[in-house]
Amino acid sequence: MQSMLTKFESKSSRAKGIAFHPKRPWILVSLHTSTIQLWDYRMGTLIDRFEEHDGPVRGIDFHCTQPLFVSGGDDYKIKVWSYQTRRCLFTLNGHLDYVRTVFFHHELPWILSSSDDQTIRIWNWQNRSLICTMTGHNHYTMCAQFHPKEDLIVSASLDQSVRVWDISGLRKKHSAPTSMTFEDQMARANANQADMFGNTDAVVKFVLEGHDRGVNWVSFHPTLPLIISAGDDRNVKLWRMSETKAWEVDTCRGHFQNSSACLFHPHQDLILSVGEDKTVRVWDLNKRTAVQSFKRENDRFWVIAAHPEINLFAAGHDNGVMVFKLERERPAYAIHQNNLFFVNKEKHVRSFDFTQNIQSPSMLSLKKLGAPWVPPRTLSYNPAERSILVTSPTDGGTYELINLPKDASGAVEPTDTKRGTGNSAVFVARNRFAVFNSSSQTIDIKDLSNSTTKTIKTPTNINDIYFGGTGCLLLCAPSTVILYDIQQKKTVAELAVSGVKYVVWSNDGLHAALLSKHNVTIVTKTLEQVSSLHETIRIKSATWDDVGVLLYSTLNHIKYTLLNGDNGIIRTLGETIYLTKVKGRSLFCLDRQAKPKLLDIDPTEYRFKLALVKRNYDEMLSIIKTSNLVGQSIISYLQKKGYPEIALQFVQDPQTRFELAIECGNLEVAVEMAKELDRPKLWTRLSAEALSQGNHQVVEMAYQKLRNFDKLSFLYLVTGDTEKLNRMAKIAEHRNDYTARFQNAIYLGDVETRIQMLKEIDLYPLAYVTAKAHGLNEECEAILEASGLTEEDIRIPEISVPIPPPKAIVPTHQKNWPLRAASQSFFEKALLGQVESMTIEDEAPSGTNGFAMDEGAVDGKGFNGDLLDVEGEEDAAGWDMGDDDLNLEQVGELAVETDGAGVGMSEAELWARNSPIAADHVAAGSFETAMQLLNRQVGAVNFEPLKPRFMEIYQASKTYLPATVGLPPLVNYVRRTIEETDSRKILPAIPRDLESVRTNGLQKGFAAMKANNLEEGVKIFRGVLHNLILATVQNKSEIEEAKRIIRTATEYIIAMSIELERRDIATDESQAKRNLELSAYFTKPILELPHRQIALMSAMKLAYTKKNHVLAAHFASRVLANSSQGKNAENARKIKAVSERSGQDAIEIEYDQFAEFDICAASYTPIYSGQPFVQDPFTGAKYHPRYKGSICRVSQVTEIGAPASGLRLLAQ
Amino acid sequence: MDPFSSEGELLTIHNAFHGGQYSAVINHDTSGLSAENSIPSTVYKLRSQIAIGQAEEVAIELEGQDNPDLAVLKAFAEYSQGSTENAVKIVESLVGSSSDNATVQIIGATILHAEGRSEEALTLLSRHQGSLEAVALVVQIRLSQNRTDLALKEVLNAKRWAQDSLLVNLAESWVGLRIGGEKYQQAYYVYEELAQTPSTSAPRTLIGQAVAELHLGRLPEAEVALQQALEKNPKHEDALANMIVLSILAGKEIDEYLSSLQNTAPSHPFLTDVAQKSELFDKSAAKYRAKA
Repeated sequence: MQSMLTKFESKSSRAKGIAFHPKRPWILVSLHTSTIQLWDYRMGTLIDRFEEHDGPVRGIDFHCTQPLFVSGGDDYKIKVWSYQTRRCLFTLNGHLDYVRTVFFHHELPWILSSSDDQTIRIWNWQNRSLICTMTGHNHYTMCAQFHPKEDLIVSASLDQSVRVWDISGLRKKHSAPTSMTFEDQMARANANQADMFGNTDAVVKFVLEGHDRGVNWVSFHPTLPLIISAGDDRNVKLWRMSETKAWEVDTCRGHFQNSSACLFHPHQDLILSVGEDKTVRVWDLNKRTAVQSFKRENDRFWVIAAHPEINLFAAGHDNGVMVFKLERERPAYAIHQNNLFFVNKEKHVRSFDFTQNIQSPSMLSLKKLGAPWVPPRTLSYNPAERSILVTSPTDGGTYELINLPKDASGAVEPTDTKRGTGNSAVFVARNRFAVFNSSSQTIDIKDLSNSTTKTIKTPTNINDIYFGGTGCLLLCAPSTVILYDIQQKKTVAELAVSGVKYVVWSNDGLHAALLSKHNVTIVTKTLEQVSSLHETIRIKSATWDDVGVLLYSTLNHIKYTLLNGDNGIIRTLGETIYLTKVKGRSLFCLDRQAKPKLLDIDPTEYRFKLALVKRNYDEMLSIIKTSNLVGQSIISYLQKKGYPEIALQFVQDPQTRFELAIECGNLEVAVEMAKELDRPKLWTRLSAEALSQGNHQVVEMAYQKLRNFDKLSFLYLVTGDTEKLNRMAKIAEHRNDYTARFQNAIYLGDVETRIQMLKEIDLYPLAYVTAKAHGLNEECEAILEASGLTEEDIRIPEISVPIPPPKAIVPTHQKNWPLRAASQSFFEKALLGQVESMTIEDEAPSGTNGFAMDEGAVDGKGFNGDLLDVEGEEDAAGWDMGDDDLNLEQVGELAVETDGAGVGMSEAELWARNSPIAADHVAAGSFETAMQLLNRQVGAVNFEPLKPRFMEIYQASKTYLPATVGLPPLVNYVRRTIEETDSRKILPAIPRDLESVRTNGLQKGFAAMKANNLEEGVKIFRGVLHNLILATVQNKSEIEEAKRIIRTATEYIIAMSIELERRDIATDESQAKRNLELSAYFTKPILELPHRQIALMSAMKLAYTKKNHVLAAHFASRVLANSSQGKNAENARKIKAVSERSGQDAIEIEYDQFAEFDICAASYTPIYSGQPFVQDPFTGAKYHPRYKGSICRVSQVTEIGAPASGLRLLAQ
Repeated sequence: MDPFSSEGELLTIHNAFHGGQYSAVINHDTSGLSAENSIPSTVYKLRSQIAIGQAEEVAIELEGQDNPDLAVLKAFAEYSQGSTENAVKIVESLVGSSSDNATVQIIGATILHAEGRSEEALTLLSRHQGSLEAVALVVQIRLSQNRTDLALKEVLNAKRWAQDSLLVNLAESWVGLRIGGEKYQQAYYVYEELAQTPSTSAPRTLIGQAVAELHLGRLPEAEVALQQALEKNPKHEDALANMIVLSILAGKEIDEYLSSLQNTAPSHPFLTDVAQKSELFDKSAAKYRAKA
């Protein structure tokens, strides 16, 4: 039974009964030695022992909801226990022989027992009474069980029969006395045939005969009408029943000794049985064939039990119990970028997209892989080949290499599979995989055709292999992990970590988590240990956050650990899961049914800790602001980690705030909190901290609060505050505190006071000595007189000259000691809102003062900068870019590739052949044809300005791949058709696409306009034109856009040129007319609205200053028409009002506001509608006919009025 | 036994040389090698020295050697220093006398191809006996002749008998970068594997990775790889040339790299090519003039 997994084993005497706790990881074992044990099988610990039975205990059962269990033993007794109070609650007496089994009913307060006294009894454990005795078996009844849903009981007896009993009568009798009609009573009385004792509570429904010897065990199927029984005839028999009859279906033969117990698998179509032949056997329910068998050397099996919820079984034998699983529940899965590949319970391969949260349909069926009932163990995915490697533990380990179908079209059987034997198989490179063979301890490196390219002998005995970074493997040995270089066949690094079972690589491939049963070890890609942590609960899986946080799951928690080892709990788990990916708040995982699941987690805590470690205060701040992270744990964490100043920001509780403030030396907060709390203890601590900081003002306050006069006095002394010291002396006097008075007097050097005080307390000798010492002879006399003595009566020792108290040199008391400027952390500042970078400020340079007005401008106010960026939607005017055929000879024939020797055609030449676009010819280095094309398409004649663009395109067309040493690099050609391999369709990559023109060119031009940087603006817009004359686009709509951009650039160039021309003559009074005209023409080109306003304002103001009031009013109206609010509008309104009053123009100019006209781009004079004009074929700029044949002033490349077919930007 | 097979003594030095890890080759301990492998390993060491610009030392060291392996290397060293005529003469005589020698074939063909006599180089190489290096050289010559079809054929042939070899993988990638489409990705995998494995990472492999990424249109990734290459060797001319190409495509400044390239390798094909095209532009542009 290769895949049976033992989870727990206990050593004891013979185990006769077993019961799983439905919720907790507990198991009750009743022993042949009268003991009942309660084990925690997850932790492997004995929780309790119950020893009140006398002799073997055979029956045991947990109640499914109450903290109760029941046991039955050879002392004929049934005992009901509380595992909470750990004692027997009561004993049910009545059986006359050994009790074999006891079971609780799943909902009624009933206990079912079977006994060697041939009876089956039902007890009510609430009123502790026997409610039914079922007789009929004529030998020991070995087992009796309730049906999980219906009112049925099944029993097995050594009389070789299995009986099914109907207990619906009993239920009715004992259910709450609802109104039962007479008819009901009659019906009930007649419904069941009374047995021979007239008992209608429980009647035999079926008697199943078929076993040739006594039957030891029997149980119902959880959902189907099936019964399974095991007997001394070594057979396990399957029975089926209907409403009316029951019959034998089949027999499972295989045990070669008495079969002692059997049951149905709670979730799968399997039967499990145990026997005295020391085996546990698993049978296929549908085929009744043996699936697996497990043999113990010396121990006969006596009992088997299934966990009601999870996939666990327990079997009792001569020397204890074993808890086991039939199969690994970890689904085989692999993750590649945003995709999860996994094998589900049906053995179908599926994928799951993390970004869209979508599960694919089945892609493959692995039914044929390994043996039935044995799920695949691992899956390794190869993105380059889109293939998977699956391993199965069947037959000592097998692997299969399978290509995934392009589309998931259902669970198809794979066709082209390659297989072999091996315990683990992982991809190690695009076209290589490693297969580990545990028995021979070799690793085969195989290519995709499954042939071995090299064989590696493992450097030590290992258990498993994992991908170890490119070209490397991680070998997991029992006590170490080895990083092994496949190419060089040598150990690169080794790290002592024991029992590593899984390896999880971080997304960036820099770190790996090594998971063993109870340890997580984080290592770098070179196998240097970063951190390690221990878990008491088994670790199941792990996944990396993008920011370098490892999330891992144990049996009951999701936890995290940072690289530095800081860890914590994210949430608890109800069921075991396998983490696959974490993205923000979403945690993806697979459950034990191999279904993808999405859990919501709160990453705040670890994000915060990570930000703390990285000192990313912005992030911390935003976390604090947006989430309620205030918990004792985070505060103590911060405190512990040495960030009390940050913790301070979280805390509201004054006491804690005080502590933190003291810890980080923030006196301000500490004082505030101390005032609020006003407790002596706090003031004491505050004073100590303040003293150490030299903040004696706070110290003073604290001492005052504490009424600590001595210290206050001393403080005043050392800070030289004599005034206050005097006051202290007064206070001492008030308080009648002589010591204090004395002290203060000493501090002050006030001898008189001292003598006075000594006298007051009748210490005349001291007073006398003091006076004497200070040479106060009058005072001496007075004292002597008062005490009635004379000088001769007194003998005093030699008195030295008294030292006067030193005077403070510096008036320290006036100010605190200077401290280093309190360095507020960035964090604190941020919280106080002092950090500017925290607020997103508009970076618009408000200083750019628009167009400097000419001398005498109305009020000197320039165009202000708050222009709106209006998306202009002007239509490109009649600029033919149609799909006219080119005159260029299209070299349409295919290149016939000859097989002989000789030189072929370079890709560059292909490009030129494949495209009618000038830019493509430039990239191909075929400048001549490119120029030809431009000449024909847009009449280009002056190519010099285009040279940088030509060179730019050409330079970006090729890459240089160093190949053979000593030879020039191999040249490869950069394509924009990345996926194309057809030589007739490949085309070069052209730098600066439409998008970059839009964002870099146009926007910069607009910015130049806004900043009044016109020369620069003209250059930028001309650059845009030169860029677009050699460009390619992706589709028709982009052609339209390109046209629009060319049109816009043209208009701007004309407008800016007019204004520049005007500025040249602005100071020349003789040109006043032209000056005005040009300023008027400046308003003609179609500019973006804010820029048009600039032109209009400029024209208006100039007209106004030149006293052309009609004109000024006209422009003012146009300004107002565009926007009626803001300063511009106000100005315009004023000017309009003034101008309209005047109503005449000082200078007559050639500008008819009512006529339709364009501006000639060369002469900057009007071309009235109806007048003849010529156009530039590229820009569409209009000129007076006399300019025909000259170079376009706008593009400086094309010839005005040249015949042209229109610019081609799209290949087809 | 084939000394270059996975069990062979020369595999490490061979792979290091073709992965561009010249210092690893020069420092490789060859004292334990068997007699028949001592000459090939010396050849690799000398070639590595030439590759890192110590051609002069090599030429002096090999003065008077008449062993064809070393003689042809001396010619190569001289050729690298610029005395091409003499070198070509030596090669011609060696080709006449010992055209079966693998080193003569490879170095000879390299010089001949560099001299523009590619057909002669191919004829010489056609005499090789299972030398992967010869195969790689043929592939490169074919590619430089724009005969991707023949290069591919050569690679497919070689793959039949030496699938696992580094050189075959590289040669396949060279061809793949010409063919494009899915092959770009495959070439990328080959180079990425080499470049990202610490033991084989070198500017050459990083450039290979970057070039593949550039062709795949993954400019930011390509830039990272090129930066890594330039970190390892800030004057690597091919890295600089590709960096210029990449910067233009990404719309970034190129001046720094361009001046750097002009200083380190004024004769790099990129520069000569561009200079040539600049002339062509002026010549072609002169043909057009406005009517008025």
